[in-house]
Amino acid sequence: MLEIRNLTKIYDDGTVALHNVSFTVPDGEFLVVIGLSGSGKSTLLRCINRLIDPTEGQILWDGVDITALQGDDLRRMRRKIGMVFQQFNLVKRSTVMTNVMAGRLGYAPTWRSITNQFDEADRKRAQSALKRMGITDQANKRADELSGGQQQRVGIARTLMQEPKLILADEPVASLDPVLAHSILQHLESLNREDGITIVCSLHYLDLVQRYSTSVIGLRDGQVVYQGNKKQILRMTDAEFKSIYGEEAERMGGISGDLAADDEDSAGEEATE
Amino acid sequence: MSEKVQTVEEKPSLVPPVLAGLLSLVVPGLGHMLARQFRKGLVLLLVFLSAAGLWIWRVSDAARREVGFTAMFKKAIQLQPILLIILVVLVLLYLLIAYDAYKTAAKAKSNSFLLWVFVLASFFILGWQIGEIRPDVLVRDGKNSLPLLMRVLWPWEKALYYPEELLIGSADVVIPCTENAEVPPRVVEEGDPYVTVTPNCGDLSEIAGAEGTKLRMVGSNFAPNDETEIWWVDQVRNEFRYRYGGEYVKIVTDENGSFEMDVIIPYRVIPTTGGKGYAVWQVEARQVASVGEPVLSEELKLSVEKMIETIFLGMMSTVFGVILSIPVSFIASRNLMSANWLTKTIYMVVRTILNIIRSIESLVWAVIAIIAVGLGPFAGILALTVHSIAALGKLYSEAIESIDHGPVEAIQATGANWLQTVWYAVIPQIVPPFVSFTIYRWDINVRMSTVIGMVGGGGIGYLLIQWIRLLDYRSAGIAIWFIAFTVAILDYVSSEIRNRFV
Ligand SMILES: Nc1ncnc2c1ncn2[C@@H]1O[C@H](COP(=O)(O)OP(=O)(O)OP(=O)(O)O)[C@@H](O)[C@H]1O
Ligand SMILES: [Mg+2]
Repeated sequence: MLEIRNLTKIYDDGTVALHNVSFTVPDGEFLVVIGLSGSGKSTLLRCINRLIDPTEGQILWDGVDITALQGDDLRRMRRKIGMVFQQFNLVKRSTVMTNVMAGRLGYAPTWRSITNQFDEADRKRAQSALKRMGITDQANKRADELSGGQQQRVGIARTLMQEPKLILADEPVASLDPVLAHSILQHLESLNREDGITIVCSLHYLDLVQRYSTSVIGLRDGQVVYQGNKKQILRMTDAEFKSIYGEEAERMGGISGDLAADDEDSAGEEATE
Repeated sequence: MSEKVQTVEEKPSLVPPVLAGLLSLVVPGLGHMLARQFRKGLVLLLVFLSAAGLWIWRVSDAARREVGFTAMFKKAIQLQPILLIILVVLVLLYLLIAYDAYKTAAKAKSNSFLLWVFVLASFFILGWQIGEIRPDVLVRDGKNSLPLLMRVLWPWEKALYYPEELLIGSADVVIPCTENAEVPPRVVEEGDPYVTVTPNCGDLSEIAGAEGTKLRMVGSNFAPNDETEIWWVDQVRNEFRYRYGGEYVKIVTDENGSFEMDVIIPYRVIPTTGGKGYAVWQVEARQVASVGEPVLSEELKLSVEKMIETIFLGMMSTVFGVILSIPVSFIASRNLMSANWLTKTIYMVVRTILNIIRSIESLVWAVIAIIAVGLGPFAGILALTVHSIAALGKLYSEAIESIDHGPVEAIQATGANWLQTVWYAVIPQIVPPFVSFTIYRWDINVRMSTVIGMVGGGGIGYLLIQWIRLLDYRSAGIAIWFIAFTVAILDYVSSEIRNRFV
């Protein structure tokens, strides 16, 4: 279980990106974080694996306070938390295989890893991760030769190498077209359902949120302004919507799950299924 | 923004226009300052003062020996009329400043274009005078240097050396003719050159008087069709070359290596005959003849040796520079060193040191290195290495700073440690710029190593500067050809490598 307690992040320039944020994520959840640009979604996700050090508050994961970890303890914790990025963040000039193997660095001894001597088990793991993401034939291409959707799959394959218990996905589909967006989210969904990996994911499109999340947190100006489970999201009211996205915000497309099927995005979903 | 400009323009001048103009005649720029154009006025004042100061300096420099300003001025103008032109421009500038002040104070839509043209013109002409620029000299003396230039451009006569031998045949002449002269008989080996004279005795010429005895000189066994000099050796073994009618006498041998000519016993100031009453002189035919096949000249060999030294000098300093600058570049990149105040301080200190080292030219470093380790290629390698570390350290660290941080975060997020993160996320991103900067530096280092020898840092530059000083333009030309050739090859190779790797 992931428990965020009174988390506050103030950047060096004084920007309050998160203010007193508290919520819990039970294991096996597909939690989606929504909110306007600048509301603090990325900051929240990065605090969880300590790419950013929070200013105040605690993050408890199975009872361990992540915010207090240092050095090797921090790295051991990180290797159990995968992260997927909007810009994929692959090493572009390296091969797909190398990018995927990099997911194993937290486990491999330093010297062996930088001389590229991963053991047989790791190589098998990489093969199966590639296979699962359907990119086995791309293994020896350079990462920047792949399409966006393929790159994101490499990104997920990289996190799979970590054998994570938690995956943080920061707008994983924001740079992809709707068809690919669904395909990527379905991969995450399958990791969530079949492997029981907890997912914390930020998303922009409400219909995607309604389709994939099992619970939702709404952030606005660094504060939690909405919390809901699967059922509640499908019946999100205008008032709740405006509390997250502001008074001027107009809801477009589907309001509820059944309407979402009419969306452009959902059309893509059908195409991939 | 436009409003602000307007309010500035609306403020009235502190003095009436005419006064502004007059004040500018007293102190150039003062009018502008009082017309609320303080900065323009200050700039004009500084510009005018420095231009006038430079002019005065140049006048007193041109007429150093004169005393008193008028005398100096007259002399300077006479020597360098350009100083008068500068004066005229300065006076016009002075008047223009006053006129512009008047216009500015009167709020007339004044166009200061002409004013700035005069400012630039005055400095341009001053620069012309200070730089002692004289195209006429270039044209006049340039023509004279053309033959020298030709030697540099086509120096290959010096590339081959024809082994030479001095052939001498000599015969004794007794002065004056006596019966009892003791002349040891000559032994001439078979095939050696020899000369005979008939008669083998006679009288010296007199100063501006009667000619001495005419002798028939016959030579054999010399190199065929080659120039031969005639020399006299007197009884105390003073040697002097034979002249006739003021000209040195030369004769060319026939196809058999023989010649025949008349010589007249020359005149000598003090014909000491010693106690014996006669002297024995020799008349010699001397020939510098090439023997055997031509061989590569010493200069060519030296050039090749030194060129190889030069290339290795550039290579070694690049290798050392790269090896040492890589770690330096990591601690000189902001993004890797922003963790805490200590690393930030290290970053600042390293960057500053790199900037200082880089601002000192390699040639100066060479001089310093020579003091430390003495003349020779090692000093050159040290100098170029030091400069390479600073230059590459900066370029590399900038490459590191401009990497995409995303992959770095992604690798960090997998639980990788610092070294793994650098190896997997940083290195792959910096290889292409590093390769390209390294080649670029290699290029610079080889070029630099061709001149670093001029101050004694080893390599071909040392030969070049020596030959130039000895006015041996052909040898210098050979060195220049080698440098040009090497640099051209290097250009080609480095662009090829760049295309492959980057
Ligand atoms: N390194 C930083 N230094 C200072 N301020 C930052 C930094 N990173 C983010 N911020 C600020 O913190 C706030 C939250 O940013 P954050 O990136 O977490 O928002 P977000 O919800 O992820 O936005 P987006 O949807 O655009 O990605 C914003 O106001 C942002 O300007
Ligand atoms: Mg974000």
